[in-house]
Amino acid sequence: MEIPVRSRLKVLRAERDWSQAQLAEVLGVSRQTINAIETGKYDPSLPLAFKMAKLFERSIEDIFLPDEVEEN
Amino acid sequence: MWLSSMLYIRRKAKMNPKEQRSIGNDKIRTVIMTAITGGAFGLLYGYGFEISLWLGVLIGALFGAAVGFRISKRPPRMEYPMAIFHRIMMAATFLLLTSFGYSYLLDQNLNQTQQYWAAALPLLGWSILVVSIGLAIASLDEMQRRIQTEAIAIGFAGTAIFVGGYALFQFAGLPEVNVGLVLLAMSGFWLAGKLWTLWRYR
Repeated sequence: MEIPVRSRLKVLRAERDWSQAQLAEVLGVSRQTINAIETGKYDPSLPLAFKMAKLFERSIEDIFLPDEVEEN
Repeated sequence: MWLSSMLYIRRKAKMNPKEQRSIGNDKIRTVIMTAITGGAFGLLYGYGFEISLWLGVLIGALFGAAVGFRISKRPPRMEYPMAIFHRIMMAATFLLLTSFGYSYLLDQNLNQTQQYWAAALPLLGWSILVVSIGLAIASLDEMQRRIQTEAIAIGFAGTAIFVGGYALFQFAGLPEVNVGLVLLAMSGFWLAGKLWTLWRYR
């Protein structure tokens, strides 16, 4: 069974005042990819998730969480 | 923070006049490449429909330049370096020229063995085009690769259904399926698949 994943990417990005295009440029992906991850339409690969974790200085679990888990 | 400074450096690099010139050159290169591809297309069709070759090349080149101008003004939504697009255009030009060579050689009273060699000529063009498209897909990011993979899968399944379904009608009396029609159906299903997956991940 597929577990729906929610991401805090939009919040983390907004906290730093970055645009989707800026984040995409740093991560080496397209803006559409960032948008699809933020809207929950696409789950990133593990290497991309690690890249994001490193960039935001958080763990992967802080950025992506199963949909049933309440955000702290 | 290192990210802010990195983005600042990148933004500054974009403001560099040398970079600006490079973007301008990229646009001119796009128009030239599409004009050459259009010209090759016009040459093939001019020969096929027995109209003036020069007229075919001219109309094709003008149409290609117009398409290239439009693309350079507003690049496609899916971002990729224009160098990849230029490489695909070069491969397409090579395919069109080899196809023209094939058509021309078949009209030259060649013996059977020479005709087989002439028939193999466009296959070289097809191979180069397939490799250049494969390299372009490999250079996309992970979600764009998924979009392309799903579009190709839909294109493959759609073509299989089309060919299989047509075979049934063929048994009922329809004429034999044209290879050009199969290629057209394949392109159509691929485009439909791509639009569908783009809409899904929009």
